[in-house]
Amino acid sequence: MELFLQFLSNTGFFLTDYRYLIMMAVGCTFVYLAIAKEYEPLLLLPIGFGVIVGNIPFFKGFGLGIYESNSVLHYLYFGVTSGLYPSIVFLGLGAMTDFSSLLIRPKLMLLGAAAQMGIYFTLLSALALGFMPKEAGSIAIIGGADGPTSIFLTAKLAPHLIGPVAIAAYSYMALIPIIQPPIMRLLTTKQERLIKMPDTDRTVSRKELLLFPVIGVVLCCYLAPASIPLLGPFFFGNLMKVSGVVDRLAKTAASSIIDTATIFLGFTVGASTQGDVFLTPKSVGIFFLGAVAFSIATASGVLFAKLMNLFMKNKINPLLGAAGVSAVPGSAREVHLQGQKEDPSNYLLMHAMACNSSGVIGSAICAGILWSFMV
Amino acid sequence: MYGLEAINAHNGWAMALTGAIIVMTGLTVLSTIISQLHRIIDLLEKRGNKKTLAIDEPAFVTRIQPPPATLSDLSTHVERFHLMTTDAGDSFDLITLHQIFIQNDDPHPHLTIRSLREQGFLVSAGEGRFTWKR
Repeated sequence: MELFLQFLSNTGFFLTDYRYLIMMAVGCTFVYLAIAKEYEPLLLLPIGFGVIVGNIPFFKGFGLGIYESNSVLHYLYFGVTSGLYPSIVFLGLGAMTDFSSLLIRPKLMLLGAAAQMGIYFTLLSALALGFMPKEAGSIAIIGGADGPTSIFLTAKLAPHLIGPVAIAAYSYMALIPIIQPPIMRLLTTKQERLIKMPDTDRTVSRKELLLFPVIGVVLCCYLAPASIPLLGPFFFGNLMKVSGVVDRLAKTAASSIIDTATIFLGFTVGASTQGDVFLTPKSVGIFFLGAVAFSIATASGVLFAKLMNLFMKNKINPLLGAAGVSAVPGSAREVHLQGQKEDPSNYLLMHAMACNSSGVIGSAICAGILWSFMV
Repeated sequence: MYGLEAINAHNGWAMALTGAIIVMTGLTVLSTIISQLHRIIDLLEKRGNKKTLAIDEPAFVTRIQPPPATLSDLSTHVERFHLMTTDAGDSFDLITLHQIFIQNDDPHPHLTIRSLREQGFLVSAGEGRFTWKR
C-alpha cells in the first residue's frame, strides 16, 4: 500500500497545479485551431502538442523536463537555444523563395523596410514598460512577424523569454486574417484600395536571379554582420534553387530539411512553455507588446506606401504596405484578399509577395542590428 | 525604472533611430542596385556581342500565336496553351505559367489563368503545381 501511495504521489495527477492546466488548455486550443480551423497548421500543431507535452507535471531530477540537463527534450531544445533551427529554416525558406516579383518591382522593397519600423517602436515601448534592453530587443523583433528570426534573436539576447516570444510571434502570425484587415481598412480609403498595380512585360533573366543572392548576402551582411546566421543560409538556399545545377539539394532544403527543423523547432518551443516558467506577468507584457509590434508594423507599411504615393506618378496600392511584414505568405495573401474584396479583378498577390520577401530580408537585418547593439 | 526615464537611461532613442536608418538605407541601396541590375547585365552583354565578329541568328523563328484577347471561349485556345507550356514539362507552377503567357503577349495573364482554373482546363497536380486536364 505504501508503494502504491508513493507511486501516486509521483504521478502527474498528484503533481499538477492550475498553471499546468491553463497551459494545457492553451496547447489544446492551438491543436484545435490547427486541425479544425487550419490556422497555420504547420506551426500551431507542433507548438500546440509541444505545449501539452511540456506541461505534463513530472518528478523533478529525473532528467525528463526540457530545462533539465541530460533529458532528451533538453538535447532537442539545444537547436533552439543555439540558433541552429532558425538558420536551417532560413536555408529552406531561401530555397523556396522566388525573388522574380521583387526583381521586377524593386521599389516595393522599400515597403519591406518601412514595415520594420514596428520593431523599433516596440523597442521603445518595451523599455518604457521596464524591460531590460536585451529583453526589449527580443520582444521588439516580434514586430518583424517572423517566427524563426524572433526565436533566433531571443536565444541570443534573452533565452529565458524564448517560450513567450515564440508563442506570441507564431500566434500573431496565425492571427493575420484577424489583426491586419482592420488596420488596412482604417488607414486607407476605398479609392486607394482600388488602385490597380500594372503588369509588367519585363521578364527576369537567369543572370539577375543568380546575381541577386550574391549581391544580397554581401550587402546585407556587410551592413549587419550579425545577420549572417540567418541571411547566409537564406541566400545560399536561394542560389541553390536558381542555379539549377543542384536541384536535388535545393529540393531537399525546401522540403525534408525545413520540415525536420520546423517539427523540432515547433515541438521544443511548445514544450518550453512549462506553466511555472511561462505564466508570469512578463509573459502578459510580451503578449501585449507583441500585438502592438505587429499592428504598428502593418500600419507603418501602409502609411509609407501612402507617403510614396505623394511623390510617385504611378501610384502604389497602399494595402501592399501591410505585406512588408515578413509573415510569408500569410500577409501577402491577406493583402490580395482585401484588394479583391474591393475589386475582384484586382490581382495584388505577386506585388504583395515582392513586399513579403523583402520583409524577410528586412527583419533578419533588424535582428542583426539589435543583436549588435546589445552585445 | 519606467517610461521616458527608462528609454533615456538605456539609450533607447539612439538605438531605435539608428536601427531604423540602417535597415532603411540597406534596403534602399539593395533596391537601387537590383533596379539597375538588368541594365548593367544588358550593357555587359552588348559589349560582349560587339567583340564577336559573327553572330549566328536563326533564319526562321516559329512563333506561337498569342492567346485570345477575350476569354469567352477558352476551349478553342487550349491546344495553343498546351504548346506554349511544352518546355515546362507535365506540371508547372502558376508563376511559370504567368511568365510564359507574358512572353507570348497574353494581354491578361492573370485573368487567363483564373479562367482556365475556373473552367477546369487547368487542374491541380499537388504541391502547388498544376497540369492540363487530360
